[in-house]
Amino acid sequence: MSVVPDVAATASPVRQQQHWSPSPTSRYVARRVLAAISTFIFVIFFNFFLFRIMPGDPIALYTRGRNVDPIQIHELRARLNAPIMEQFGQYLRNPFTGNGPSVKYSAPVWEVIGPHVWPTILLVGSATIIATIVGVWLGIRSGWNRGGKFDQVSTNTTLVLYSMPEFWFGMIMLIVFAVGVGPIPGLFPTGGISTPGVDTSSVKGVLDVAWHLFLPVTTLAVIYLAEYSLIMRASIIDETSQDYLKTARAKGLMDKMVRRKHAVPNALLPTMTLVFLNLGFVVGGAITIEFVFSINGLGSLTVDALSGPDVPLLQALFLLFSGAVIFANLVADLLYGYFDPRVRT
Amino acid sequence: MRPKSRRTRVLAGGAGLALAIALIAPAIANADSASPSASPSAPPVTFTVGVTTDIDSANPFTGILAESYEIYQLEYPTLTEYSAADFGTVPGLAESWTESADKTTWTYKIRAGLKWSDGVPLTAKDAAYTFNRILNGDYEKTNFGSYVANITKAEAPDDTTLVLTVAKPSPIMAKLSVYILPEHIWKSVDENAVKSYKNEGTEAVPTVGAGPFLMIERRVGQFIRMKANPDFWRGKPAVDEVVFKVYKNGDALGQALKKGEIDFADSLEANVFRSLEGAPGVTTVQAVYSGFSELAFNTGAALDDGTAIGDGNPLLKDKSLRQALGWAIDRQVIVNKVLGGGGTAGSTIIPPLYASLHLDPANPVGYDPAKAKTLLDAAGYPVGADGIRANANGDRLSFRLFVRSDSAESKKSGEFLKGFLNAVGVEVNVKVMSSDALTEIIGQGNFDMFEWGWVVEPDPNYQLSTFICANRSYKDAGSILANLSDSFYCNPAYDALFEQQSTETNVDKRAALVKQMQQMLYDDAPYVVTYYYPNYEAYRSDRFEGLVPQPNPDGALLFQYGTWSYESLRPVTTISPGPSNEPTNQGSSSLNWILIGGLAALVIIVVVVGVTLRRGRENDMNSNEE
Repeated sequence: MSVVPDVAATASPVRQQQHWSPSPTSRYVARRVLAAISTFIFVIFFNFFLFRIMPGDPIALYTRGRNVDPIQIHELRARLNAPIMEQFGQYLRNPFTGNGPSVKYSAPVWEVIGPHVWPTILLVGSATIIATIVGVWLGIRSGWNRGGKFDQVSTNTTLVLYSMPEFWFGMIMLIVFAVGVGPIPGLFPTGGISTPGVDTSSVKGVLDVAWHLFLPVTTLAVIYLAEYSLIMRASIIDETSQDYLKTARAKGLMDKMVRRKHAVPNALLPTMTLVFLNLGFVVGGAITIEFVFSINGLGSLTVDALSGPDVPLLQALFLLFSGAVIFANLVADLLYGYFDPRVRT
Repeated sequence: MRPKSRRTRVLAGGAGLALAIALIAPAIANADSASPSASPSAPPVTFTVGVTTDIDSANPFTGILAESYEIYQLEYPTLTEYSAADFGTVPGLAESWTESADKTTWTYKIRAGLKWSDGVPLTAKDAAYTFNRILNGDYEKTNFGSYVANITKAEAPDDTTLVLTVAKPSPIMAKLSVYILPEHIWKSVDENAVKSYKNEGTEAVPTVGAGPFLMIERRVGQFIRMKANPDFWRGKPAVDEVVFKVYKNGDALGQALKKGEIDFADSLEANVFRSLEGAPGVTTVQAVYSGFSELAFNTGAALDDGTAIGDGNPLLKDKSLRQALGWAIDRQVIVNKVLGGGGTAGSTIIPPLYASLHLDPANPVGYDPAKAKTLLDAAGYPVGADGIRANANGDRLSFRLFVRSDSAESKKSGEFLKGFLNAVGVEVNVKVMSSDALTEIIGQGNFDMFEWGWVVEPDPNYQLSTFICANRSYKDAGSILANLSDSFYCNPAYDALFEQQSTETNVDKRAALVKQMQQMLYDDAPYVVTYYYPNYEAYRSDRFEGLVPQPNPDGALLFQYGTWSYESLRPVTTISPGPSNEPTNQGSSSLNWILIGGLAALVIIVVVVGVTLRRGRENDMNSNEE
């Protein structure tokens, strides 16, 4: 009775009947992919002009107070201040190189971005996954027994955690669990993602990274929790009033089976959308938590690039972020179409 | 029955796995502590410095941040160095140096028998190579161009002699802060490759240098490891490794020092610094610093050719008005309220830590609002009906004051300055903006007043040059571009003195000229120097000793002009070696226990997940049966 098998059952005959024209499925897929591509093309154009309206004189700012000869400052600036159409042409030939090297780091933009990608994915990615699993579980339990003791405790707790300022909560976690308060020993490191001198490719190195990431990931996951648990709770509550659940119960199924096999699969759809949208934002990093726990993620790199501003670096980052969000959206759309046949037509 | 037996099997498997890991984990943990003890020598001594900014590049031709320069000076020698005691010039790679009688050449006697860290001899040829590379380079000039601008030729007639030919006499020749690079390494990095050359050492291939420490690992945004250079010419340092660990926020930096994860914390925020005072094992140092903060006036923005630009209030061109405003500002209150007690009230643009160059004006301008009012009345700005002063034409003393959003001190200073000036009948509109926006606005001359600061090098030339007429903004291809001047001060008498000091190679005569210039700026008041910054540092005095301040006695212990502290730094030796070793081992032993704990937790999670999945599957089967 769940939705999933239905999709498979209805989709295949349709495809067979209309083999002379594109099936609704492939039309749906094509439409979504085209939409994603056109959005990305728009972003590529928009990206170029967006950062050029920002005020600033990066060379003057970066060289302020340094014993740099004014002649050199002029030359540095000349490299940066090519006519706008010339820059645009250069950009269009290869938008991904971001109009030359980073102004601040004098290195190709992707070389600057590279070392920040993994820490970001490890931090935000694992926090999102943990928050999703735990949040969905909490949401199901709360929503199914709405108003019950579990619901009250879980909803209130997650809401309180959600409303806490990230920086403050992070600092509390750091002081309590990294430095230690009273009888609680400082078990975790105060920052970074690995111990200097430990080879991260060894077993010990991997465990060392896990040890470093434990606090930041936990903090972030706890903050994210309410987002998933509340959505899941709401969708479960929506489903509980549906007739098909009455039917299921009438068949004599155990309450647990009704929830598991009938309510949850249908209620998961909105949460799935949220998960994929958020996965798109994973690469954007978590600026506050990166700052509290000194993690060199893409969030803090973006803040860094904003001062100046370092336009080539910002352009590349913006392109990466929007690309990730567009891609995640596309995946969410396609999966949604797969799981819920209604949206395909 | 069947499901139950399955669950038992899972549990048994999990327990077995846990047991196995419990057996392996101590072995992993021990592997770490075993390896150093396997060697006959003591475990390596690591000095960990917590910093709040990562280096921007390990390539000395590329990096611009102070942290990067700390790395370069640890790796590469310079011809001369700044003494720890008082920034006096002392021998470095060059044992001695002489200016020729006709003042056209400088001859440096390079130390004999030195080696680069890879064993290749270090000679005057390396020095000549480095100077020629900068002279003939384009990109290479960015960081060092101002030092070589006056050099026309660099030659090494033999291995211990370097001869530099100059276009005109220059005192900078005794203080060339140019890092001498190994020719045999850098000659293979051509002028295009140098732009993206990383110069990051690895454990297998450390950076080739000749300073006290060499880079062996860099993780961008995380840390830099450097190991002691046994061939360093002043002797191998007492610590084996120096690690620079990046903390992105000041609170975490303070906590890390308190906990003992780091041994030294630099550039602490005032509140964090106060919280460390009295912490066990920690010594706090409120050092004098080479930076000042100023209230700058738009003294008449113009291009270098004199063409007026910008929308600055023309009233501020009046010297007597600017002087009067100086009397309205209580610098000590700003020091107390903005800097949290550290730092000192400001006067002239060369900070007092450069004792031989700093001018303590004979006619100090202090806080005297009554005098400010009298001076303003005398200058022709009586108080108007609205309480704001105005001149005879009705032009009110109403000014914009721009402060920087990215600096808490700047924003606070702005509020205090506004209050002080209001009190004498001057209207101030404070506007907060990013440093980016303010940089652009200053270059265009579109301001009345702003708050910013400078960090001043031991050589005053650069700082003095920010007030010469030629360094006002300039025009290129139709657009106005900023130069070094941000007050647009222009005074031919000052320019003449600037030229004179820039060619005066007699130290005392030059100091006299520099003081004369400070007096001129003090009287003409393009800036009101509000305060000299403090540098809040703290370190684990229970583990390390022997750090030397620059200047003596109340200067900074690290991030100096020189590597003195790194060379003299040594672990604390107590009578019983036990307690002194304990803190350093604590970290790694707690890591080992955490690792074991983490493994156990992992096993428990695996077991729980396994059991849950099992149960789920059993339920599926049950439901199918139903």
